[in-house]
Amino acid sequence: MQAISDFIGGADGVSLLGVYHTLLRVSLPILALFVVVRSARSLLGFRREPEVWAWLRLATGELLPVTHWENLIGRKKTADVVLSFATISKNHAVLTRHDDGHWTISDVGGKGRVEVNGTRVMHSRVNYGDRISLAGLEMSLEQVSREEARLQAGARTRAGKGHSPGLTLILLTILQVLVVLSFLLAGVEGQTTILTAYGILAAVEWCLFFAQKIIRRSGFEIETIAFFLMTMGLAVAGSANTANLYKQLISMGLGLIVFLALGFCLRNLETAQKLRYLAAGAGLLLLLANLVLATRVNGSKNWIYIGGMSIQPSELVKVCFVLAGASTMDRIVTRKNMLAFVIFTAFIGGCLVVLNDFGTAAIFFIGFLAIALLRSSSYPNAALIVVGVGMAAVMAVSVVLAVKHFPHVGERFSGFGHIWSHMNDNKGYQQTRALICIASGGLFGLGPGNGWLRNMAGAGASDTDLVIAFVSEEWGLLMAAMLIVALASLGIFVVRSAKVARSSFYTIAATAAVSILLAQAILNFFGTVDFLPLTGVTFPFVSNGGSSMMACWAMLAFLKACDTRQNASFAVKLPEKEADKG
Amino acid sequence: MKSISGRTLMALLLAGLLLFGLLTFLIRYGIYADDWISHSRSSGVRSIEKVTDRSGRVVYAPHEDRPYSDDGLIRRATVHLLGDLEGNIDPLLLKQYIPQLVGFDKINGTYGMQSGNGHVELTVDGSVESVALQALAGRKGTIGVYNYKTGEVLCAVTTPTFDPYDAPPVPDAADSALEGLYLHRFFHVTYPPGSIFKLVTTAAALETVPDILDRTFSCAGSITVNGEVIHCQSNKAHGEQTLRQALANSCNCAYAQIAQLVGAEALTRKAEQIGITESLSVDGYHTKPGSFDLGGASKNRVAWAGIGQDVDMVNPCQYLTYMGAIANRGRAALPYLVKRVSSGGTVRYQAKTDWTDPMITRAAANELADLMHNNVVQMYAPVNFSGVKVCAKSGTAEVNGKQNTATFAGFIDSDQFPLAFIVVVEEGGSGAATCSPIAANVLWACLNVMRSEQ
Repeated sequence: MQAISDFIGGADGVSLLGVYHTLLRVSLPILALFVVVRSARSLLGFRREPEVWAWLRLATGELLPVTHWENLIGRKKTADVVLSFATISKNHAVLTRHDDGHWTISDVGGKGRVEVNGTRVMHSRVNYGDRISLAGLEMSLEQVSREEARLQAGARTRAGKGHSPGLTLILLTILQVLVVLSFLLAGVEGQTTILTAYGILAAVEWCLFFAQKIIRRSGFEIETIAFFLMTMGLAVAGSANTANLYKQLISMGLGLIVFLALGFCLRNLETAQKLRYLAAGAGLLLLLANLVLATRVNGSKNWIYIGGMSIQPSELVKVCFVLAGASTMDRIVTRKNMLAFVIFTAFIGGCLVVLNDFGTAAIFFIGFLAIALLRSSSYPNAALIVVGVGMAAVMAVSVVLAVKHFPHVGERFSGFGHIWSHMNDNKGYQQTRALICIASGGLFGLGPGNGWLRNMAGAGASDTDLVIAFVSEEWGLLMAAMLIVALASLGIFVVRSAKVARSSFYTIAATAAVSILLAQAILNFFGTVDFLPLTGVTFPFVSNGGSSMMACWAMLAFLKACDTRQNASFAVKLPEKEADKG
Repeated sequence: MKSISGRTLMALLLAGLLLFGLLTFLIRYGIYADDWISHSRSSGVRSIEKVTDRSGRVVYAPHEDRPYSDDGLIRRATVHLLGDLEGNIDPLLLKQYIPQLVGFDKINGTYGMQSGNGHVELTVDGSVESVALQALAGRKGTIGVYNYKTGEVLCAVTTPTFDPYDAPPVPDAADSALEGLYLHRFFHVTYPPGSIFKLVTTAAALETVPDILDRTFSCAGSITVNGEVIHCQSNKAHGEQTLRQALANSCNCAYAQIAQLVGAEALTRKAEQIGITESLSVDGYHTKPGSFDLGGASKNRVAWAGIGQDVDMVNPCQYLTYMGAIANRGRAALPYLVKRVSSGGTVRYQAKTDWTDPMITRAAANELADLMHNNVVQMYAPVNFSGVKVCAKSGTAEVNGKQNTATFAGFIDSDQFPLAFIVVVEEGGSGAATCSPIAANVLWACLNVMRSEQ
C-alpha cells in the first residue's frame, strides 16, 4: 500500500491532489447519496396491498377480508373487521391466526356474546366452515384457496422491485473501496488494518446478501443502510484509532448472530412470545449485573470491564425491553400481561436511577412511550400513565443527581444554548469544536486523518458523542447528512409497514426498536450541534462502541420482522408455505 | 390492528424531527459557518502572520512571543481592536476576516488552506492613535476620525485602556476609573450628545421651515416651555439672534423655539433619516443603537430633544457618519477599519466604499456647513486652522449624578482632506474648552499622515 501511495505520489504529486480532489472527494457523497436514495426509495415506495389470510362470510353472502394475523372485530371504525350493527360491541372479538395456520377467536369483554357453532366461548379454536355468532350476527370463516394465495402473492410488490438490492450493494462496495483508497492516499497509519477491516466488512455484507438470496429473500435495504452507516463508523475508527476497528467488527459479528437468531425466532409468533419471558429475565439479570459489577465513568455507572473488554449492559437491555414490551392483539385488548410489563418497566426505571445516566434514561423513556402508546390503543390505561410519569421522574432524578454529584454533567446542561461563551470550559468545549470542525470540513470534507477532531477521540468522545461532526469534518457535511437521512428512512419504513402488519407484536417491537434508534440519533446529533444538551448517546452503527453496535444489529431484527413485502425478509415466512400448512 | 398502526406515527414524528433538525442545521450552516470558523483558534487568529496599520507599521503578529507593537502608546491605543492576551477583549475585527484568512468557503471548508501567512491591513494609523490617546490624557472617552469620501477610519481610540503586556486584573463594578475597560466606546456605548445634536435640529429647520434664516429668536437667559424652565449656559441672555448666531452661541432658548417651529414629527423624521436609532455594522462591530424618544411629544420634551438633552442618546461612530453626510452634502461613506486581507500574497478581501442613505438635502448641507464653519471662526480657535476649512459644533451634555460629558463633532470641508471627526470626553466639562484642543491635535496628526501619503 505504501508502495502504491509512493508510486502515485512520486509520479506526480500535483496531479495526485487534483485526482483526489475531483474524483474522490466529490464521488464519495454522490455514491452515498445513491446508496441511501436507492435503499430508501425501495423501502418507502412499495404499494401496501393487504395480505388476505381468510374470509368472513356473512349470512347475507357478503365476504369480508381478514387481512392480519390478529383482527379486532367490532363496531368502531378502527376495528380491522368493521361490523356496523348496534348489537355489536365497539371491541367485540379478536380473531387470531396462529403459526401452524389454525385460527382462534376471543371474546374481549364487550357486552355481546361470542358463539362458535352455537356454544358461547371466551376463547376457542375456529375451523374453516365453523359457524360464528357475534351477538346473534351469524358468519363463517372461509379459507383462502391456493389459487387466490398464488394470485395474491404475484400481485404484491416484491421487495427490491425497481431498485435491485444487488446493484445498491455494489454501489456501497464501490463506496467502501473509495473510502479505503482515500485512506491509502492520505498515508494514514495502520493502513493494513484498515484494508483488512473493510475487506471483512465487504465479505460479511455479500455473504449475508447471498445467504438471503438462497432462501429466496430479496429485501436487503435495511441491512444495506446498516452497512452504509458502519462504513462511515469504521472510517471514523480508522482515523481516530485503528485498534477500534476489529473491536467494532467483532461486535458487528456478535450483533449479526443475534440479528439472525432473533429474526428467525420472530418468524414464529408463538416462539417469539415465549422469547419475551426469556428477554425480560435476561434484561433483569443484565441490569443486576450492571448494578453489582459496573464501574462509574464520568458519573454514570454504566460500564462492566471483563478482561480487556468493556461492556455497557444497558445497551443490550434495550433489546430485551423491546421484546418484552411487544404484545399480540388479543392480549392488548384484554390487557393481559400488562401488569408484568409495568412491573418490569418500573424495575428498569429504578435501576436507571442508580445508573445515573440521563441519555440512557431518555432512550428507555422513548422506547417505553412507543410501547405504551401502541398497547393502550383501545383505551386509556392508568397503569401505563403512572409508569410513564415515573419514567419521566427517573430522568429528572438522574439529571438532578448528576448535576449534584458530578459538576461537569451539570455544566453540559447549563452551557446549552450559549456554548460560544464557554468555548474553553466543560459547558461548551465539545460543541464549539464540533461546529468549528463541521465548518472546516465543508461539504466534501478534509479527507481521512486530516481532521482535527481525531485529536479528541477516546476521552474527548469525538468518535462517539460527536461522531457526526467527525464524519462531517473528514468526509463532508453531505456524507454526514446521508447518515441521518438513512436512519430516518428506517423510521418512515416502519410506519408505512404497520398498515399491512401481520401481528401487533411485530408492529410494537419494530416501532419501539426504530423509535429507540431514532431517539439515539436525535440526542446524538442535536447534542453535537447544540440543539439539545450533550447527553453522550451513541449514533447507531456509526459511533465507536461495541455494546452499542451489537444492540443496534439486534434491533434491526425487529425491523426485518415487520417487513411483509413479498419475499422480502428472512424474518417473515413466505405465505405460500403457510398456505400449504393451512 | 388499524388502531395500532395509527399509533406508529410516533416513529414518524421522531424521523420527522430528525430530518427537520438536519434541515435546520444545514440552513444554520449556510448562515453561520463563517462565524464558527472565525472562532477557531488553531486555524483562526493563528492564521494571521501580521496586522499592519495604514502606514505599514506592524501592530500585531500573533506568532511572535511579544505579538503587539513595541511602542507602548500604540499598544494601548490599539488593544481594543486587536484583542488582549487574556481573552477579555474579543478581536471582533480580526475574527470577521478569519474565513478569508484561512481560505474558508462553505463548499470546500478549509480544504487546501495555507495557514499562518495571513496579512490584515488596517485603515487606522498608529501615530494618530497615539496622539489621540495622549490627548485624552487619562480621561474616559473616545475619539473617531474617518474619511467621509472613502470610509477609511484613521482613528478609533477608546479609554480607559491598558497595555496588553501589563493587563490589570479584571476590575470590579465599583471601580469607576476602569468602568467599561473592555468596551470600545466608539462602537459599543451611547452618550447624551448635548448641543452637537443641535446640528440635527438645524438640519430639520433648514429643510422644513422655509424662512428660517430670516427669522430671529430672542433669549433672556431662560425660557419657560409648557411650565418647564429651560436655561442657557450660565443663564446668559443672548438677546435677539439669527439661526447663525443661535448655533454659534449654542443658545438653548433659541433652539427650544426652533424645535417647536420644526415640530415633533419633523424632528423625529430627521433623527430617523440620520439613523440615530440604528446599528451600524463596521467590520465585525455592531454599533450600539442610539435612542430618540419624544414620548407624548409634549412641548417641553420637544424643546429638550431639539437641544440634545434628556431624550436623546447617540453612538459616536454612527453620529460621525452624520458629520460625513453634511460634509459630503447628502450622504457619507460607511466607515470601515480593514483595508485589505491577504493570505500567502493572494488578496482575499479588498475594502470597497459603501454609502449611507441620504441624510440631508444638498441645500441644507451647504447652509449647515457654512454655519458650522462660522462656529469654528467664532468659537473654536484651536481648530481654526489656516488654509483648511474646519466646520464643527461642541456640546456639553448633562449627566445625572456626574460631571458633564463634553462632546465635539465636525469635519474638514475639503476634497484633499475629507475627514469627519468626533470627540467624547466623559466628565469632561465644557465641550468647546475640553474637546476642541483634542480635536485639533488629532486632526493635525491625520493631516500629516495624509500629506505624507499624497
